[in-house]
Amino acid sequence: MIATSRQVHIRYGATGLILGIVLSSVGFTDFGEVHKMFTFTDLRLLFVFAGAVALAAAAFALLARQHRIERKRIHPGTIPGSILFGMGWAVTGACPAIALVQFGQGYLPAAITILGVVGGVALYQAVHRAFFRWDSGACQ
Amino acid sequence: MTEYWPWWAGAIGLGAITVAFWWMLRRPLGVSGSWQTVVHWREARRLAQAELAMRREPALAGDALMAATIAQFGAAATYGTIGHAPEASANSKHRFRRRIPWTAHAVFLLALATGGLISAFVNGGFAFHWNMGPVHELLFGGGFSSYVALLLGGLAVGFGTQMAGGCTSGHGLSGCARFVPASLLATAVFFGSAVGFSFLMEALVR
Repeated sequence: MIATSRQVHIRYGATGLILGIVLSSVGFTDFGEVHKMFTFTDLRLLFVFAGAVALAAAAFALLARQHRIERKRIHPGTIPGSILFGMGWAVTGACPAIALVQFGQGYLPAAITILGVVGGVALYQAVHRAFFRWDSGACQ
Repeated sequence: MTEYWPWWAGAIGLGAITVAFWWMLRRPLGVSGSWQTVVHWREARRLAQAELAMRREPALAGDALMAATIAQFGAAATYGTIGHAPEASANSKHRFRRRIPWTAHAVFLLALATGGLISAFVNGGFAFHWNMGPVHELLFGGGFSSYVALLLGGLAVGFGTQMAGGCTSGHGLSGCARFVPASLLATAVFFGSAVGFSFLMEALVR
């Protein structure tokens, strides 16, 4: 099954559109709701996430019998990177997808978050090349 | 904003997107990977052009591999393989995995914002907000101080997800659903870190 370039663009676009609609409709782009999840005052979004993982796990368990799916590896950046990401998520209420959805919804300061994300992504590559010696998994 | 969807509707939606994306594109869903490609789009385009050239002219791949082998291990490593190299590289085009063009990743990111826009119109009308909501205002103030927090937080999100090799979608959804150890570890750590930092923010304000 080889998709043409146009089909790939359409599939990526459709996924982004639906993902944006679902994330905002369920409240994942609302800082207040996300903060309530992280302080355990309302577990609704935690159920959304856990439920999604459980459903996808059931589907992948069936699919993985026929297909080999690429797997990420643990490397020295896994833990420190995740700690940084968690701190950023707690402060902005945004993961890399959600900052964009927030901006689309009309949250103008999310543009600053997006600016930060772009800066962080650019900065990481420079830092990785200068100091880190592990494979970031980009070649898989 | 009107009422949010019940948790199970969101779970079905996100679960279905994760699986459908893999089914359509045979790649795990991952937004931080798209960010990486879009931010470094020049490099992505250069790689795509190089791969296209190699696919058209498989001997180029053989030459490149040979040059890399000599650079890494010295010429002695290639003795006895010279005669076979072009033959091997003729088959190598089948091992190339078609690269996703960086423009598709850009479309993906733009579509995410468009999805938010559509959802705002559907759920009770679109409006501009100058802050991230009452809770964020309570924690970080409304104006300049909250913008500084967003910039630093955004930097941590961008840097951290690249360093960890994935974010909520790549590690959290795609990875955890397949019980990949790196993803389970990353997800536990970034959730734990977000919980700890959120309690710290609360403690500093109240």
